[in-house]
Amino acid sequence: MENELEELERPSSVRRTFTLRNSAARQVAVNFMPSRQLSFNTLRLRRTTTEHNALLEDAVSAPDEVDAEKRAELIVREMEQHQRLMENNPEAEELRREALRDLPQGLTMKRNVRAKLSASVSLRSRQRPISFMKRMKYRISFAFKRLQDRFRDLTFSIELWYEAIRNIEGHFGSSVGSYFYFLRWLFALDLALCMLLLAFVIVPQTLYNSHQNTTLERSFVDLIAGKGLFEDSILFYGHYQSGDASGAGQPYYMPYAYFFTMVCLYLTFFGALCYRTAYSYRRNFIETAGGVSHLFANKVFCGWDFNIITPQAAALNAASIYNEFKELLNEQNKNSPSASYWTRVMRCSTNIAVTTLVLGTIASLEYGLWLLLDTEPSLPRWELIVSLILCSVLAVLPIIFGVIVRLEYYEPRTALYVTLARTWLLDIGTLLLLLVYWSHSNLPCWETALGQETYRLVLLDALISLFLLPLLEFCRALVYKLNPKSSPPEFNVAYNSLTIIYNQTVLWFGMIFSPLLAVAVTLKFLLLFYVKRECARRACQPARKVWRAAQTQTVFYMLVTLSLFAALFGLGSLFLRSSSHSCGPFRAYENVYSVVTEGVLGLARRPTLQRALAFLTRPGVIGSLLLALCVAVYYMRARARAQQSMVRMLRQMLLLQAKDKDFLLAAISKVSNGEWLYSPRTPTEGPDSHTWKYLQEVRKPSNAEFHFDASRLSHSLMEGRPRSLAMETRTQSYHERRSNDGDTDSSFSWQGSSNCLNQGEEAKKRWF
Amino acid sequence: MGQGKSQFTEEELQDYEDLTYFTKKEVLFAHQKFKALAPEKVGHNKNAKLPMAKILQYPELRVNPFRDRICKVFSSSNDGDCTFEDFLDMMSVFSEMAPKAVKAEHAFRIFDFDGDDMIGVSDLREVIERLCGPDLKLSDSEIQQLVQNVLEEADLDDDGALSFAEFEHIIDKSSDFCHSFRIRL
Repeated sequence: MENELEELERPSSVRRTFTLRNSAARQVAVNFMPSRQLSFNTLRLRRTTTEHNALLEDAVSAPDEVDAEKRAELIVREMEQHQRLMENNPEAEELRREALRDLPQGLTMKRNVRAKLSASVSLRSRQRPISFMKRMKYRISFAFKRLQDRFRDLTFSIELWYEAIRNIEGHFGSSVGSYFYFLRWLFALDLALCMLLLAFVIVPQTLYNSHQNTTLERSFVDLIAGKGLFEDSILFYGHYQSGDASGAGQPYYMPYAYFFTMVCLYLTFFGALCYRTAYSYRRNFIETAGGVSHLFANKVFCGWDFNIITPQAAALNAASIYNEFKELLNEQNKNSPSASYWTRVMRCSTNIAVTTLVLGTIASLEYGLWLLLDTEPSLPRWELIVSLILCSVLAVLPIIFGVIVRLEYYEPRTALYVTLARTWLLDIGTLLLLLVYWSHSNLPCWETALGQETYRLVLLDALISLFLLPLLEFCRALVYKLNPKSSPPEFNVAYNSLTIIYNQTVLWFGMIFSPLLAVAVTLKFLLLFYVKRECARRACQPARKVWRAAQTQTVFYMLVTLSLFAALFGLGSLFLRSSSHSCGPFRAYENVYSVVTEGVLGLARRPTLQRALAFLTRPGVIGSLLLALCVAVYYMRARARAQQSMVRMLRQMLLLQAKDKDFLLAAISKVSNGEWLYSPRTPTEGPDSHTWKYLQEVRKPSNAEFHFDASRLSHSLMEGRPRSLAMETRTQSYHERRSNDGDTDSSFSWQGSSNCLNQGEEAKKRWF
Repeated sequence: MGQGKSQFTEEELQDYEDLTYFTKKEVLFAHQKFKALAPEKVGHNKNAKLPMAKILQYPELRVNPFRDRICKVFSSSNDGDCTFEDFLDMMSVFSEMAPKAVKAEHAFRIFDFDGDDMIGVSDLREVIERLCGPDLKLSDSEIQQLVQNVLEEADLDDDGALSFAEFEHIIDKSSDFCHSFRIRL
């Protein structure tokens, strides 16, 4: 065998031409490579089947049905190789269902395969009585599966605004569509919030109030300001009962209801948001990160937005792809000289200067706001004026930030993120400031005042975002109509998304002080959807530049989650300190958290529990807990790094493997062409030599089928074996091939890959 | 949906639910859409075979530059004519629930114009030309350069064409693919 090493040495250019020849044979070979045989590769079935056909029969001779029949047969045989798929239990059945679903074949074929597969399964399985526990387990998993399907069915039939959003997507592309999905998602979230708050907090209080027979006179300005008689209404925290709120019958203890509803809501939604964000982040950032970037390939293969339905949008999409191609090529051809040191310094310092300026503006704004809040009211309805100023500043500044960022030197996407971050900082800063200001004021019931503040913000912002901004957009559209040369108004996804994020943030901050705020925000989102839809339809043109939404969407989710986190942080640190003693559901307690310690646990009556809790909250215990957390984080980080380096290594291996494949294919195509039989060495060996026999009798081209069938058999055998053993055979078979087609110029790749596998050493010993 | 329901038995719906990414309601909804393409024909035979021209009436397909390829890939008779099952199959692959790998498999077939199981230079040229639309034309050398760049990025084994594995590698690393390769029912 060693002799053959030299026999196949040929210059790589010759090899290349061989590679391109005889593609059927090479495809067959690829399928028998170990990497194709391992794991669940039902997806590859299409390819395998076509090649099996090429191998097993002449494609011409077979009529269509027979062909289909045979293909199904092959797929079934392939699937039978997977032990886990063929067991006769619900788990395997589910696996089979999924595998069938993922099969890239038509429905008829799938059905055919399924019939054959279930016949094969029932043939294989021996009827064994299953234990009670197992039966229960299966029954539960079945029920769960059915419930899941039902739920999906239900959500489809109640899916809100389905056609509307689909229509918008068709006209404006999926980025504008994603704004509406985001809006809908927040609306659904707030609707759930609303329901729970209404059920557990607001309705009981209203029922209680109806027993009290209080009548209120209302004026419109009071309604907007939340002042006057509205101050002491179910709108705000201060009004809620501190004791039993049932009036008659079963007792309903308001402080518990208020406290636990709020805590549950905040924590559940925090969990849900974290999950959603992490999911989106994983899908759009982590899974697609690293490695080589496919700039051109991405544009070519993922460029078309399949959602588009109007010819106009299609033309725009085509034009934008065309322009992008042009730009990319220009950039490439320009081979721009890398920026000089001084230019880079200049750019960097500009960025820093502008960022400082923006941060300074935000800080001075916050300071100005503090002063504004602190001034003695000189006008009637002073608080309304303050809120109005606040609202307009918060509405206008993001636009200014959007302009300022153009002065800086950022990539377009980075510029967008920078603007988002600045605006978010402004919003959060303002809300935190309000929180701090009112909690430090000497009002008897500052919670209500804070509730009023957030309530006013939401209402006034509704005025701006529901009337003023749409009006502006329609004006722009009118200008465009009169003067078509001006730039057409486009739907600004970033700004609009920021508006709804801002509203959601106000809700997170104000919900606890004004439970009805959830209802207000939900209603507002409902209206906003229709207003924005009309705006988009009537006043906006499709964007001329394709806007990739996937990653930006993740950033939006992240901002909502961060807002909630900031709100939780602010509220939590506030409530640990004190609460008003003259109003609100917790007025009977020293602190808010004493609802739990005093009310539920009754610590005063249970000294042991109190001692245990006191011990648990001692600095030492908490400190060691923190330490343990730190260690855990460190451990996780170390693991993450190890895995990162593993990923790097594997990535490198992938590249080497691709080269290996190329090399192997070249060799194989030579073999199937019968090339190596004419090597100069062969005549020197007589017919007695083993090598001669092997070459002449076993590896004859006409024997190709047997040869491949044999290797196939060995693989199916391999799967039945223990894993460690199977691995060993695999390396061995690699090296067998190597000896067959040893080509010096790519021997490095073998070394590399076996080192990566850490199994190279013993295998090498076997061969040298 | 009451109209559609009468055309299917419960078993058929269950069957479709098992084999596609749709729920029963969605299958019925898809049938409605299919029926809207040729009401009288589908009214007689729920699984009627519609010619490609009819299928291309579907709004998303009408403006899609790869419309004929999509129809051919999903057509069980390979000529672009689709029965309801083919249509359902198509919608299922384009739906949100379909995993990336399945979408990639079909995208590969759509882009593989000459059907040689490789996306070669001619396929890439065709894709680029179709993407730019009928009105805008890139010059020959520009297309050549684009193709060269794509191959440089993605053709790992240097054989001048993208195999499925290489194509899947691109798709795997793209966050936009699932977003764009999707048609809502």
